[in-house]
Amino acid sequence: MAEQTERAYQYQPGVFQNTKLAAKKKSSGALKRWYCDVGLGFKTPKEAIEGTYIDKKCPFTSGTISIRGRILTGVVVSTKMKRTIVIRREYLHYIPKYNRYEKRHKNLSAHLSPAFIGVEAGDQVTVGQCRPISKTVRFNVLKVQKKIVKGAGAKQFTKF
Amino acid sequence: MTGASLNATSHHHQQKHGSTSTNVAGMKNRMKQSNAVGISRDSRHKRNATGAKRAHYRKKRKFELGRQSANTKIGAKRIHSVRVRGGNTKFRALRLDAGNFAWGSEHTTRKCRVISVKYNSTNNELVRTNTLVKGCIVEIDATPFRQWFESHYALPLGRRGKKPHDGHEEGLNKPRSNHVTRKVNERKEGFKVDQALDDQFVTGRVLARVSSRPGQSGRCDGYILEGKELEFYSRKIRSKGK
Repeated sequence: MAEQTERAYQYQPGVFQNTKLAAKKKSSGALKRWYCDVGLGFKTPKEAIEGTYIDKKCPFTSGTISIRGRILTGVVVSTKMKRTIVIRREYLHYIPKYNRYEKRHKNLSAHLSPAFIGVEAGDQVTVGQCRPISKTVRFNVLKVQKKIVKGAGAKQFTKF
Repeated sequence: MTGASLNATSHHHQQKHGSTSTNVAGMKNRMKQSNAVGISRDSRHKRNATGAKRAHYRKKRKFELGRQSANTKIGAKRIHSVRVRGGNTKFRALRLDAGNFAWGSEHTTRKCRVISVKYNSTNNELVRTNTLVKGCIVEIDATPFRQWFESHYALPLGRRGKKPHDGHEEGLNKPRSNHVTRKVNERKEGFKVDQALDDQFVTGRVLARVSSRPGQSGRCDGYILEGKELEFYSRKIRSKGK
């Protein structure tokens, strides 16, 4: 019941919770959970399958979000939003006159499913494009690679 | 004034389903017409993600239009039909009194009277004004379900103290053929109704959740709350009452 924090009852729409058979097997205590494979070789996290969170924008436990289009990677800049993160994607832009490059970056907001716990600033993250989730969010986090602890901070330039 | 096409929507208000044309309604038509132009669903009026103010470079388009909300109340059925994009129709229910409600675990659906709105997770105002929207918790009249239950299982439902009413006894003890009696006894075996639900049937009122969109389909359909969900909403309603 820890996930019922909102004013409306949180549940997975595809799962019917009150079948009579379920009443007989109440000993297990756990509700049936729906999860899916997002495709493209991405492994669905264990927490998505075993957890109890309800997130209608999670690509693994919601039937309404499909991952299609672009798959991008970036470095996490901030995790202060509720269930969404800001990613920084760096790239080099070529100036033909001087035959040289300049550093540029773009920020991107991506939805972070509760299946991924312990995501901090500096982690590398793979995001996949999905339908618009909010005003600025069109991507959903698919994979997290934790930061290797070194001296360098996240804001320093790292090319992918 | 833009919108010969926008005016078309108001003309259809004149053909109302199940309600009489009055002068008041005529006035409402004119008001609806002007307001329909006012509400738009574009994002060009909003600031960018960066915070920049977007320049206003074009007028509102018809495909971005929004309409007044239905604010469906409880009462004698009053439904207006609206012509929408593509020539299709939406049924704007302004007043509804009954809907098709489902008892999920028993796999039956019955048409029940809607009595009042008990809880709305979004807005307490909508509870106070008894406005029907998708996802709100309502109290429905339980008698159609009780009648079905008693004729299906031949067990009393929601009966405290042995006071037999004339109508109800029919369901329990109606004459059944041998074949039907055998089936009914099979169903009865080891079957028990959830205590929380049974309590509701005693009062004749059951909590249900609306799952259709009355302002779009013109219907107030839903499902009876059971199990964890019922617990959750009962607690919310009780704490509200305090």
